Amino acid sequence: MPRLSAATIHSQLMMSRTDRNYHLLPFNFVRLCGREVLVNELGDMIVAPAGTVERIVERRMEDDGLYKSLMSNFFISREAIPPLSGLYAARLHERKSFIDAGPALHIFVLTLRCNQNCRYCHASSRVIDSPDCTMSVTVLDQAVALMMQSPSREITMEFQGGEPSLLPELIRHAILRADELNRRACKTIHYVLCTNCVNLSPGLLELCAEYGVVISTSLDGPWWLHNANRGTCDSHARVVAGIEKARAAVGHDKVSALMTASRLSLDYPREIVDEYLCRGFNSIFLRALNPYGLAADNADWADYTDRFVEFYKQALEYIIELNRRGIFIVEEFASIVLKKILTPGGSGFVDLQSPSGIINSVLAYNYDGGVYCSDESRMLAERGDDYFRLGCTADGYESIVYGPRAKKIAQTWAAEALAGCSDCALRPYCGADPVRAYSTQGNAYGHRPTSLQCRKHKAIIEHLISLIIERADEVLPIFSSWTA
Amino acid sequence: MIRDFDISSNDNTLYATGRCSNRCVFCCEPPVQHEDTEALWAENMLVLQRAPDGVPVVGISGGEPAVLGERLIELLEIVGRRFPRADVHLLTNGRAFSNLSYARRVVQATRGRLVAGVPLHSDYCCDHDMIAGVAGAFDETVAGICNLAAAGAAVELRVVINRYNYMRLRDIALFIHRNLPFAALTAFMAMERVGLASDNAAEVWIEPCDYSGYLAGAVDFLDQWHHPVAVYNVPLCLLSPGSRRFACRSISDWKQRFASECDRCELRAECCGLFATSTEPFRNIHAICSSA
Repeated sequence: MPRLSAATIHSQLMMSRTDRNYHLLPFNFVRLCGREVLVNELGDMIVAPAGTVERIVERRMEDDGLYKSLMSNFFISREAIPPLSGLYAARLHERKSFIDAGPALHIFVLTLRCNQNCRYCHASSRVIDSPDCTMSVTVLDQAVALMMQSPSREITMEFQGGEPSLLPELIRHAILRADELNRRACKTIHYVLCTNCVNLSPGLLELCAEYGVVISTSLDGPWWLHNANRGTCDSHARVVAGIEKARAAVGHDKVSALMTASRLSLDYPREIVDEYLCRGFNSIFLRALNPYGLAADNADWADYTDRFVEFYKQALEYIIELNRRGIFIVEEFASIVLKKILTPGGSGFVDLQSPSGIINSVLAYNYDGGVYCSDESRMLAERGDDYFRLGCTADGYESIVYGPRAKKIAQTWAAEALAGCSDCALRPYCGADPVRAYSTQGNAYGHRPTSLQCRKHKAIIEHLISLIIERADEVLPIFSSWTA
Repeated sequence: MIRDFDISSNDNTLYATGRCSNRCVFCCEPPVQHEDTEALWAENMLVLQRAPDGVPVVGISGGEPAVLGERLIELLEIVGRRFPRADVHLLTNGRAFSNLSYARRVVQATRGRLVAGVPLHSDYCCDHDMIAGVAGAFDETVAGICNLAAAGAAVELRVVINRYNYMRLRDIALFIHRNLPFAALTAFMAMERVGLASDNAAEVWIEPCDYSGYLAGAVDFLDQWHHPVAVYNVPLCLLSPGSRRFACRSISDWKQRFASECDRCELRAECCGLFATSTEPFRNIHAICSSA
């Protein structure tokens, strides 16, 4: 039998390789840590020596490991249309699959009334006995019916305020109504109750336990910080007691907490993380103040943004240190971004998507029957600006989701088509936020060079990539445990 | 030689053909050039007839079984009628399945019980093609892997470690993580030193003790991202200690042997041992003793 010579095959194939005759596939790059970080449309990242992009463009690549990696990771291709474009397309489709899924997060702003008066409140809350700021049963029924028309197989029904726990009967009505309609729709429905936890009645907790409602609360840090943010002397004690009561009723893992970093918070990253640990949480979302509602009146956002980034880095460093010592705690924002950097899947987080999560993934039903793009857009409405109002709960689903207002907003919701985003290397890890652009810069298109949201996201995402570059062995086991 | 099925064996395999569409540089059973389907078909029918009931897994190997084309589907249907509950383990280079409708019909013929073992030689097309000996093989193999999975087969990726790919094992793992995360298993395999691997040893051969560091990097990466991963055909003494838990007793029982050093080894019972068929043993085989 004729034997095949590997040497012959080898030389034949080597001859057919024309290494400089390749095509560029779409990618952007950013310089970090003295390297070039190349990112393609799929979010696949390659860290290469400085000067690589120039060499790629000028066809001065050596036939080395880097050249092979660029080829195998869809940065360059031997053919104008890569032979594996089907695989590329399937992966891009997977990354953007949320567009087809339909709105999954439905926010019900049951009331603006609240039993607290937080200094940084961005939810336009009103004092507890304010009239005319609570959702009627008619509006609620219409909103639930709209929610059930979303094609999404999985729905999250989130109760917001104000303080929704002031209206336990309305929550009960909403859940039962959804449950009833779902007998035909057969969706998976998740429930979230956003509450300050100070007023959880046994009846409400029983309802939460029965329907597996996740209780999401606010905890800003240790008592002195939390209370200072809220202008009270007992809020922390009441929230902590509420958290324990809620855990006892619905289960430890069904209670989550969010923090918001006030100016005061920015000096206490460790203390805040420690507070979350000692309250038994293994995750924390380090969240900046946002400039809606009352919070917009607090001045000098640029200074705040820069200080927040420093705060974020310090807190993250401490969280990494804790994980290294075997204490599992996740920073949620990092985990969302890292999932996009390190894994082929998307994240499903509505605030960091392109096209943006508004309408595509989120609808908000205001107490007065207005239907909005997101929680933030109905907060703008409280200040008299209805730009992001899609319609009202009495309207049909199509006229809300595909109506003229939605079409107008759609022109500004894709980072791929926004100046300053389209050629940003970090775009696959970031998202478009027309509501934030509108509220802070006066138009929904926005201006990236002066956008503080852009400045903050860039700084944090670049910091995460720098950690991956400079401290891979240390951080990757931790980061992969967060994104699993 | 006809090897009858044995209910206690880990390897009940039908040899479909000696022909192949690839020309892998380390092939341990270099492909035949002549038409052999009919003669082997008759043998395989005999094996199936004489086989005991309840064989849990039926292997189909070659050569490249898919060169049978429509006859492969017929063979799978016959196997399915004889062993309705058995999984079918098909060893293929995957290229024929770049045709999605063929992939669907083959998976259908096994009633969804197909496990396809497909070699992936590199993440870099030209290296894969060079190792497979055919230009364009990589693109067809990767498309075939995707199609088989889309059609409902479980796909086991097999990375046979050789001199041309051992330095890119970590890159291959990254390619799998990003592009083929649906793989049911990724198995890194040592070559069997027989056939072309032996004839071309100067070009293709690499000793496990020389690549164990690269292998550990690839295995740890896939494991970190929760992809099932295994190491086949590398004796435990040649793996870095952290990789040993991924090693399998992968060598068919009828091919397995041990060296004299292995008598003193504490891990002998868990080890894959050595290929009885190899022309030379691996270098640096030694007993693992906790007292030593």
